Amino acid sequence: MDNAALLAKIEALEASVALTKTVNAEVFYWWCTALMIAIHAGFLAYEMGASRAKNALASGLKNLLAFAFLVPAFYFFGWWIYLAFPTGFSISEASSGGVVWGESMGPNLGDNASGIFWAAFTLFAATTASIMSGAVIERIRMSAFTILAVILGAFVWILGASWGWHPEGWLTSTFGLHDIGAAGCVHMVAGFFTLGVLINLGPRLGRFNADGTVNHISGHNMPMSLIGLMLIVMGFFGFLGGCILYNGGTWMTIYNTPTTLSAFAFNTLMGVAGGMIGSYLVTRDPFWMMSGALIGVISSAPGLDVYYPPLAFLISFIGGCVIPKLADMLLTRFKIDDAVGAVAVHGLGGVWGLLAVGLFAAGYPNVNGPAISFGGQFMSMIVFALLGFLPGFAASYVLKMLGMLRTDPKVELAGLDVAEVPVKAYPEASTIPAFTGGEALSPAE
Amino acid sequence: MNSAPIATWEGAKAYFTFADQPAVLMLISALALAACVGVLVSMVRHETDCVKKLPN
Repeated sequence: MDNAALLAKIEALEASVALTKTVNAEVFYWWCTALMIAIHAGFLAYEMGASRAKNALASGLKNLLAFAFLVPAFYFFGWWIYLAFPTGFSISEASSGGVVWGESMGPNLGDNASGIFWAAFTLFAATTASIMSGAVIERIRMSAFTILAVILGAFVWILGASWGWHPEGWLTSTFGLHDIGAAGCVHMVAGFFTLGVLINLGPRLGRFNADGTVNHISGHNMPMSLIGLMLIVMGFFGFLGGCILYNGGTWMTIYNTPTTLSAFAFNTLMGVAGGMIGSYLVTRDPFWMMSGALIGVISSAPGLDVYYPPLAFLISFIGGCVIPKLADMLLTRFKIDDAVGAVAVHGLGGVWGLLAVGLFAAGYPNVNGPAISFGGQFMSMIVFALLGFLPGFAASYVLKMLGMLRTDPKVELAGLDVAEVPVKAYPEASTIPAFTGGEALSPAE
Repeated sequence: MNSAPIATWEGAKAYFTFADQPAVLMLISALALAACVGVLVSMVRHETDCVKKLPN
């Protein structure tokens, strides 16, 4: 074989390897996106189960609406925001890649990356909306929820992601923020946004007595909630896989530091287990035990790439022990009626996750910015808390002033399904007043 | 607390927290195991207490 033929063969081989890498990367994110849909199936089951029977379908409908509206909203605005604002509020040149009339935002044989990354980020966006949706069940208007979900999912969290979950984000370049599993921009921002909404929305009718004591409101199907929570945990393997940059050859964190899927596998599973065991210890409640699995994932998420696995277990165990108590405090002391504990699980779980990296993983070098430190993690945590809370409070306050935030008390008493959903969840049931269109015996029913 | 066993990513191998301090790793592992055993013990106590609380 002469040199020319050999060279041609090498070139063909190189082209083939490059194509394989590209296809591998595309396929990886394709399946991460598919797995993340399990998060939404999980939230759907979990929130329907946590609702009283009279509100089961309305709660589910809300989740479906959030998912459906988030897809176009993130296409039109979200992806552009992520590319535009890593340095703060000035628009980056890279934003041209997210302009909806640009070449990257549609089928393009020269761009195998934009669509698949957009899809993964769209599912992250829908996750933020789902985090809020459980907290506000049984009294928020469907339209208000959809508006708030779009604001959170297509604008607010993605600005946080651009700032702190981007190779050039200013929180990393300034403070050395390390949050590879998105506990800050996804969980904290969604949790604190939800807190702002809940303050304006108020508790469900009958949740508190005149003397401030709390009435327990049971969901109608705990087993469905538990299966839903387990589905969310499964979906998080897609979510966390999507947090890794894969170019077909090497694995990198969102901050361009090297990592492996093995690191994520070790610490995700140890985190899930730690959170479940911790929550079981303090509550004995299967609902909180499965919420503890989420607490575990979120507690360990920022340092999944660097933790020694038993350390991830312990961090998540602590989160699993403490967060349920904080959820109880939000209810009993601050009178925040968060139907599923989302503010505590995601908001406060995210706080703990970010601070834990500062406490237990300080000193790791960053590619773009100072090394990881407690001070840097703390400052970033404050930014995420404000970024979530302020828009959530302001947007829900405006909706409240316009009379658009909350359902009519008559609807709330009768059940949202009776008033707003044209089909019945359990058409053969007849013992619950809501099924027959009658009024509940008391507000907590 | 500086727990990073590396100062640069160049040539890094086992880079997890405290990877260069086996005594700390043993301590963390012992704590994690103790948490598991402690919860098991508390589970047994919980079950026993529940039985006692039931009316005869």
